[in-house]
Amino acid sequence: MDFAQNLSNAIILGCTYLLMAAGLTMVYGVLKVLHIAHASVYTIGAFVGVLVYSWVGNFWLSLLIAMIFSGVFGILIYRFSYYYLLDVPRTVPLIASIGLFVMLTDLLQKPFLMGPYQRAFPAGGAGLPRIDTPWFSITSKQLLIFSVTIVLMVLVYLLLTRTRIGLGWQAASLDREMAAAVGINLNRIIALNFFIGSALAGAAGVLVGIYNNSVFATMGDLPSYKAFIIIVLGGMGSLPGAILASLLLAIVENFLVASIGYVLPRDSIAFLVLILMLMFRPHGLLGQE
Amino acid sequence: MPILEVERVSHWFGGLQALKDVSLYADREILGLIGPNGAGKTTLFNIISGFLTPTHGKVIYLGKPVQHLPPHQIVRLGIARTFQIVKPFANLTVEENVLAGIGMPYYAQFRGLVAPYRTTANVHTASHLLELTDLQNYRNAPANRLPIGIQRRVEIARALAIKPKLLLLDEPAAGLVAKETLELANLIKNLHQQGINIILIEHNMRFAMSLCQRIVVLAQGEIIAQGQPIEIQANEKVINAYLGQE
Amino acid sequence: MSTGYLLTIFTFIAIYISLALSLNILVGFAGQISLGQAAFFGIGAYTSAVLAIRYSLPFTIDFISAILITGFVGLFLGLPSLRVRHDFLVLATMGINFVVISVFKYVDFFGGAMGLVNIPAPVLFGISFRGGVPYFILSSIYALLTLGLCWYISKTWSGLAFQTIRSDEDAAASVGVSSARYKIYAFGISAAIAGGAGSLYAHFIGSVFPDTFAFVESIAILSMVIFGGVGTLRGPIIGAIILRLTPELLRFISDYRFTLYGALLVLMMLFQPMGILGNGSWLWQKLHPNNRDVANTPQMEVK
Repeated sequence: MDFAQNLSNAIILGCTYLLMAAGLTMVYGVLKVLHIAHASVYTIGAFVGVLVYSWVGNFWLSLLIAMIFSGVFGILIYRFSYYYLLDVPRTVPLIASIGLFVMLTDLLQKPFLMGPYQRAFPAGGAGLPRIDTPWFSITSKQLLIFSVTIVLMVLVYLLLTRTRIGLGWQAASLDREMAAAVGINLNRIIALNFFIGSALAGAAGVLVGIYNNSVFATMGDLPSYKAFIIIVLGGMGSLPGAILASLLLAIVENFLVASIGYVLPRDSIAFLVLILMLMFRPHGLLGQE
Repeated sequence: MPILEVERVSHWFGGLQALKDVSLYADREILGLIGPNGAGKTTLFNIISGFLTPTHGKVIYLGKPVQHLPPHQIVRLGIARTFQIVKPFANLTVEENVLAGIGMPYYAQFRGLVAPYRTTANVHTASHLLELTDLQNYRNAPANRLPIGIQRRVEIARALAIKPKLLLLDEPAAGLVAKETLELANLIKNLHQQGINIILIEHNMRFAMSLCQRIVVLAQGEIIAQGQPIEIQANEKVINAYLGQE
Repeated sequence: MSTGYLLTIFTFIAIYISLALSLNILVGFAGQISLGQAAFFGIGAYTSAVLAIRYSLPFTIDFISAILITGFVGLFLGLPSLRVRHDFLVLATMGINFVVISVFKYVDFFGGAMGLVNIPAPVLFGISFRGGVPYFILSSIYALLTLGLCWYISKTWSGLAFQTIRSDEDAAASVGVSSARYKIYAFGISAAIAGGAGSLYAHFIGSVFPDTFAFVESIAILSMVIFGGVGTLRGPIIGAIILRLTPELLRFISDYRFTLYGALLVLMMLFQPMGILGNGSWLWQKLHPNNRDVANTPQMEVK
């Protein structure tokens, strides 16, 4: 009973990690930039989601608008910063990303945006049912997170493998210069990349906001650090790796916390896993030297 | 006893065998190592200089096996090398590149941590090496802003700064214009006369033939011929190996 | 602004100059990008705080122990740099920062989330250094000593060895530099200096809390190095001064100072990626029109 319940909780947690990490790993795949400002996109997604929900009261519409807004915001971030920083030492886009993150987090705390307090996001389970089995239960919120994640990931998978632009994306993540040389429109690919990655982060923000019934300006910090751990575990830039790593990290966290309790907090476990991983399998779970 | 002996060295990269049972020796000479692309020449250099540990076999230098030593220890025994894809210290000037080589004995010692490097004696040694390699005009130029031919000479000067007994040159003539190639040949002969033993990988056949006293030919990881340049030029296997590639 | 307030800011600036210079040894000299420098800052501060509070040891011993212990921990925490490079190292050092902070936070010996308070003011030669001018002088001396040490290192074989591993580890090995050894040296030296800065900080403020040394602090220190001009000695100093002063100078728009701070970083990276006084930066070229010192320009390449 405990085991099954822990596992199902871990999978739900893994889904939220995944939506966050997928965008980050896509950005890293093509640009090789540690996109720290991704955290801000997540928060903005949650914020837009809660605003739209308070006006229209419809979860699906607010999710859609939040995703589109986050996606466009991601493109703007790219177009006004990283776009100019592709061929400079890597510390430069890193610091720029940090600057963006500091700036956006501070702006979001302003009274005319989110303010310094938490907002409730009472969308509940968007009408989805609760599932009870003899071994475990899934609340309607959990079911919502799970199903939205699956649908979005399937859409991304189809886009990347079944469309021309998706194949271009794959080529660009293998070798940007080569892809440009064979006539792939890099700017469009990267813009799309940012749109999708940021839209996924926005969706993650909305879902976590609903799950915890709380949206606040610094809610993106910890998930974004976690997402970095996940893209390392998954092998930087690999989407299948990120899926595996998200679930694995969530499971390890849940079961360690359940079995050894709070010797160290959950989040330090994640970072210890990161350090050990880098020491012993520096190219990720699925990666090769 | 030869200076260097490679004894039955094999090397695999994953499932790919790059060297098959290669044995050769190098003595007080200019030895040429030639062969088509992918023959395993640079792999062999990487093994001799410690950048790779061979899957099987031994490398014996001055009577001692050295195949398990890391590169920074091999170089302390007096084996210096240059790289096929030039790797000067891009953030340093030409002179500092040479000084970095002069520092070789210090890096493993505690006094390396505290002793200043730009002493009169070291600058003097560096000047001498810069003159020898005809780089005195580039002394203060940043190494990464120079034409490839000059960067190759910087690498040679840096390698000479460690006072090598054996110098491994990986395609030193690649990317050079005719005049530079001629100057390079003279430099290599000059170094040889000063008692430095040289192994060079070369693609430019004419350059190798005119310069080397003995030539070893590698193809697909195996030695297919060795001998004097004249013998090699007439060797059918060699001709086939090169023609087969074209 | 009161004199006391100004002196506090200047003391902080002196401490942060030491920190930025210490990180510059790692990032600018040896080319190892770290987002974990605040962990070393914190280890130094906590070492000093624990020795002063729990063992009532005098400042000199606290201070020297903070330098030695942090340096030693730095040798150990530098080990990931032997396995991973570039962005992976950035993330590993970030992880180290989080783990170190959580140890401070969750181990009672270190005071937990409540931190350690009532750290006594340093007493040297019978003089108590509680705040004010004396403490400013004390931390300035430390910053000057750090600067001297960095300058001296850049003149030694080890300084040259750091430059070689920053440039290319294979080429470094070809002249006999063990990159493993010198990376560990860089981490050790860098950590030791940051540890001393931490000790000064702890005795200045009189208390230490885990969150002071969190990841955002590492970000701030790295920003100073890059903003000023990585790899130079003047860069981290000017970076520490400007970035510590900016939020203070912007107090009149206090609500937006971090927005502007972030925007400043972004604009700087877009228009002057070499830093404000880095080699090849606009301002440095204006100041030194005939300077041919382009050799130390960080390479403009993506690896």
